[in-house]
Amino acid sequence: MDRKILIIDDEALVRNYVRRALASRGWAVTEMDNGASALDLLRRETFDVVICDLKMPDMRGEEVVKRIRESLPAVRVIVITGSVSNITSPIVPGVSVDGFLIKPFGIDEIRDLAEKVLKNEGPRG
Amino acid sequence: MTAKAHILIVDDEAQIAEMILASLEANGYTAAVAYNGSQGLERASKEKFDLAIMDIQMPEMDGITALGEIKKIDPEIEVIIATGHGTMGTAIQSMRKGAFDYLHKPFELKELLKVVERAVEKRKFNDIAKVIFSTPKPEDQLRVIIDAVTRILKADESLLVLPDRDGKPRIAVSEGLDDDAGRASRLEMCSRVMLQPASAAKSLQLVESPSLDKKFSDIKGLERVKFSLFLPLVEDNKPVGLININRDADEAYFTEDDMQRARIFGSLVNLALRNSSLYRQLQETQGQLIQAEKMSALGQLAGGLAHEINNPLSGILGLTQLVLESTDKNSQNFADLKEIEKAVFRCKKIIVSLLSFSRQEKTRTEPVNVNEVIEETLTLCARQMELKHVKIVRRLAPGLPMVNADFQQLMQVFLNMFTNARDAMPDGGELAIETRLLKTPAGSEVIMTSISDTGAGINPDIVDKIFDPFFTTKPVGKGTGLGLSVCMGIIHKHNGSIKAQSEPGKGSTFTVSLPV
Repeated sequence: MDRKILIIDDEALVRNYVRRALASRGWAVTEMDNGASALDLLRRETFDVVICDLKMPDMRGEEVVKRIRESLPAVRVIVITGSVSNITSPIVPGVSVDGFLIKPFGIDEIRDLAEKVLKNEGPRG
Repeated sequence: MTAKAHILIVDDEAQIAEMILASLEANGYTAAVAYNGSQGLERASKEKFDLAIMDIQMPEMDGITALGEIKKIDPEIEVIIATGHGTMGTAIQSMRKGAFDYLHKPFELKELLKVVERAVEKRKFNDIAKVIFSTPKPEDQLRVIIDAVTRILKADESLLVLPDRDGKPRIAVSEGLDDDAGRASRLEMCSRVMLQPASAAKSLQLVESPSLDKKFSDIKGLERVKFSLFLPLVEDNKPVGLININRDADEAYFTEDDMQRARIFGSLVNLALRNSSLYRQLQETQGQLIQAEKMSALGQLAGGLAHEINNPLSGILGLTQLVLESTDKNSQNFADLKEIEKAVFRCKKIIVSLLSFSRQEKTRTEPVNVNEVIEETLTLCARQMELKHVKIVRRLAPGLPMVNADFQQLMQVFLNMFTNARDAMPDGGELAIETRLLKTPAGSEVIMTSISDTGAGINPDIVDKIFDPFFTTKPVGKGTGLGLSVCMGIIHKHNGSIKAQSEPGKGSTFTVSLPV
């Protein structure tokens, strides 16, 4: 079965290459440009991994991640961000995520991390 | 010989004017005559005079009006008013308008010459004050002071003694003392004067034949000196230095006039030194404020900018790598795309350095041994230094007190300085690291670390800019121009200071001071 991944980022350029990088490895990738629509979709469809940007208009990534955690504890979450100064521990206050990457990141970095979080069965850090 | 002064005589009585003229010229002055006020003003606007001797009652324009006008033309000119029917009233009026002094006609020429001499002296002091105050470099200022005092007090030798960093007196500048033995004996004499109780050390002192005086008779080499004058420099009511003025001739007594001159001169020098130290403090504080403002503005800008730039940059990197995957490894396209990829990594590095300003990371301070930080940092880069044939010389003072600091951040600072030093010596050289404990004039203690290289040095034109963000002399792609500004940011957070000194061709020294 194809592994399903959802990428949420308001930046089309980033969604574009992340989708293609993962698709070429056999992932089924869906793109969303805002948090609200993504949460909507997540209620109807199941995904293995969600990649979520932090700084987005309307609903911030932190809020999106928090809601995913509340309703879908099994989904793996990777946070991506363009701002190093946002990096705190935990990356989203009060919520644990499975991994994060700082932009700019390369295609192998996102591929490796996606593989890794999916394999990782242990507690999230 | 140059004239003692150039004097303008303004008098409508030709006979008197001529007489004054003749007597001034006979005494080594040069002078010009004007026969009424407006003529006098015309002269003064064309020619530079040190002094004007002005009659008060003249046709057309009276002396009081002319006095006011001439001061407008040349604010520095000294004016002596001469009045034949003087009342106290006109005298006071003229003094208020800025006259130096007044004479009642008929006056004796001797009397006039005395007043002229005093006025010229005042001019001289004014000029010296101007030179001292307008000399920005403290070393030059001391030289000007000693030159002036030698001239004014007709000294055969004069020296200015100041305490060095450890509080030991040393000769800062001297005049008329060429041999080391002579200098040593004068310094010893001055040191003893400075060691007296504060009340004595603060007043002007005169010593006749110091070699016969019991305070100094054991010092060898003072026989030549017949008269010694000691003029203390005082700051905040405390003695901070000493000017020693010596005359060698048998009859060359210091007169009461000389003492008066010395006192005036002393207060002038004290004022000048005070002013210049205040001025330097002001400049330093201003510089720090400007730097701090630049940093914080840049930090804010960087934080916002990083996010905006990282998104498209991420796209460039990802797409480039995607295309690379389907490109023939031997093609030109592949090579070009690799270059693009490298460029993105370079941008990423710049942004990360830039963000070290805006990062709200707290400094975690603990008692830290500066020598330990240096040793630790050296372990990190010892191998690189070896490869570049850079010899490391340690002059680390043992038993230094601890400073409150963030170990990691200090390491970052030292690493940056060591790396800069290494880069300044591409053909090898010497990296000297020295630490020591210093007392500031305010009484607090600082640990000073100096890092010196034997590289090419920093061009004086750019030495002010090296701490500016993005300023770099390294080739494109080699340096971000942020290293030193980050260092400065860190050291300022530690309430310390960082300075650069360089002599082109000989190397540079960076000094980091941290409060204990």
